[in-house]
Amino acid sequence: MNFEVQNLTKSFGEKEVLRDVSFSAQSGKALGLLGRNGAGKTTTIRIIMGVFYPDSGSVLTDGKPIDRNTIRIGYLPEERGLYPKKKIEEQLIYFGRLRGLSKKLAAENTARWLRRMDMSQYAGKPLETLSKGNQQKIQLAAALLCDPQLIILDEPFSGLDPVNAGLLRDVIKEMIDGGAAVIFSSHQMNYIEEFCDDIVILNSGKIAVSGSIKEIRRSYPRNNIVLSSTQSAELAKYLIRSISDIAESIMPDEKNDTVTVRLKNEHDKARLISELGRCSIDIDSFAVSEPTLGDIFVRYAGGSV
Amino acid sequence: MKNIGKIIQFEYLNCVRNKAFIIITAAILLLIIASSFLPGVIMSLASPETEKTDNQEIAVICSDSLYGGELVSREFCRCFPETAVVLSKEDIETVKSKVNDSKYRFAAEITGALEYTYITKNNSIYDTNMQNCAQAIKAMYVSTFLEPYGIKADQADALVYADVQNRVLTTGTDQTVNYLPTYILMCMLFVSITSYGQIVAQSVVSEKNTRAMELLITCARPTELMFGKVIGSGLAGFTQLALILTVSVGSLKLVSSSAIPTEIYKLISIEPGSAILAVLFFILGYFMYAFLIGALASCASKSEDLSNLISPVMMLMVIVYMVLIFMCVSENYDNPVIVIMSYLPLSSPMAMFIRATLTDIEPWKIILSAAVQIISTIIIGIAAAGIYRAGVLMYGTAPKPSEIFRIILRDLKEKSKRKAKP
Repeated sequence: MNFEVQNLTKSFGEKEVLRDVSFSAQSGKALGLLGRNGAGKTTTIRIIMGVFYPDSGSVLTDGKPIDRNTIRIGYLPEERGLYPKKKIEEQLIYFGRLRGLSKKLAAENTARWLRRMDMSQYAGKPLETLSKGNQQKIQLAAALLCDPQLIILDEPFSGLDPVNAGLLRDVIKEMIDGGAAVIFSSHQMNYIEEFCDDIVILNSGKIAVSGSIKEIRRSYPRNNIVLSSTQSAELAKYLIRSISDIAESIMPDEKNDTVTVRLKNEHDKARLISELGRCSIDIDSFAVSEPTLGDIFVRYAGGSV
Repeated sequence: MKNIGKIIQFEYLNCVRNKAFIIITAAILLLIIASSFLPGVIMSLASPETEKTDNQEIAVICSDSLYGGELVSREFCRCFPETAVVLSKEDIETVKSKVNDSKYRFAAEITGALEYTYITKNNSIYDTNMQNCAQAIKAMYVSTFLEPYGIKADQADALVYADVQNRVLTTGTDQTVNYLPTYILMCMLFVSITSYGQIVAQSVVSEKNTRAMELLITCARPTELMFGKVIGSGLAGFTQLALILTVSVGSLKLVSSSAIPTEIYKLISIEPGSAILAVLFFILGYFMYAFLIGALASCASKSEDLSNLISPVMMLMVIVYMVLIFMCVSENYDNPVIVIMSYLPLSSPMAMFIRATLTDIEPWKIILSAAVQIISTIIIGIAAAGIYRAGVLMYGTAPKPSEIFRIILRDLKEKSKRKAKP
């Protein structure tokens, strides 16, 4: 199944919040929706969920306008919240029913997800009696209750300890492997890199960059070379002497035993290799340095992560 | 609107399972049951001597030169049918000490044709013995006065105790029967509309406060959420109101024959017509105010903001209530102010209820007022849905009235734009 957001534009009063935003998410894959606070992520998500209507543009499923009555969507909002005083089981069944499940199926799915989250023993307790991390797990169960075809997760890992983060990681992988399309919004780039093949970065309501992470990385010039050596200081001195004509900068990092060489032209890598072959300094590795997702985010989203 | 039934059920159960709701309902019901028996208890307390002194005698001291013993005995026995009357020949001090020792319930020393001294141990404000004594002496006086004219004692008694029978034929509305229940029901209308409106408001703010709204708003349409909440809470309120009315009527029926005098029973018993009108105007009034309060509450992020936002509506309700109460004091229920108020949307539920129960009003006027209320409720509901849709996702400072108005306009514009799209 292909979920597509097509040319979304939305304004609140005079303020244009989204301008011509388009991207797509496929079943069995995760898409990273990134952007700084206020970039338009939540508005985009709310339009997908049908909370807001776009001024123009549309949300499509396999090329047709989305029918939220038939498509099952699971949503984990950034602002977590359920009923603190209500029993966990009771409110999960309620949310399941609101998502279109029958009472029986909602009860079955509630029991199944509570088991999966290792939370069955708390089923009859009010939510407020649980720790923050466990409340987060209940919130995730509420999002996944309807066996969604499209899952929207907004900062799913915030507030989770490493054990619960591991559990959540497994659950998300299961859902992706099970054929769900996942839209993943987070500022924790390691998780985006772990789950997502494709990303969309929004900047002031516009798409700054979109596509597969691999392609975006490849679009960066491949002129940054990281050399690893225990004699990094000597290596740096040698390189300054031998390749200063082709190098833009040569930066030794004695702490990490590396030397980073930025070439003026990425095609001069062969010359660098031949110069390295001529020196007697022991070199452990030679690698083209690729930008991190953080670097990409900073470049396209503007400002810092 | 596929989710509205589920939301109504959830909200209804939420309300009726709420501990505060259960405690308040139980307390009110207990109070009603207790107060139904109260008049009877007060009545019995009002004549404490009667019960305690059932076997006591009353002493009458009367010189034969004033009234004959037979006459005295007959008239006092007639006025105190359940008590033994003793024509005492003891001296006054002995009688006083016997009264003090509760051997006599009381004593009456007749000192003149129309004069007597009432001797009692404790003089209570509920004591009705003196009226009865006076009645007996008056009868004796009349009888003695008429005897020379050949009128026998029993004929004189028939004249003295002649009773006038009357019946009331009301061509309009019997206000003596309706006024107290009307005030009680109007008070209930006011209290229930404001308190159930508050329940809706608190529920909306708490969903925003706990951010449950973030998820809810993606599961159901805002209109469904608001209508579900208003109807669910309203049904809970209606359940409470129905319980209160049922228990009130039931306990009145239970005690009417025994404890409460017919006059008082008539005053506080609710006529079926009034109860039906109360239910009708509760439903109409509740929805109108609940939509308004719910929509305004959706603009509040914190409970502290809530009172500021909904206080104008509450104030309006209080003003309407107070004006109606003051107008009713004048007992002119067709007062132009009440008439106008009975057709204005926010005041009509209470104003028309008063007119419908206390005046002889043509049915079409009630229907017209109900129609005004239904149409206003629909308009308020549409506007409220617009405010709610924008308000539930609005955090931070509560919006000003002008902003709320802009929200309604924007919502209407968006709706017409969507409709215009093919």
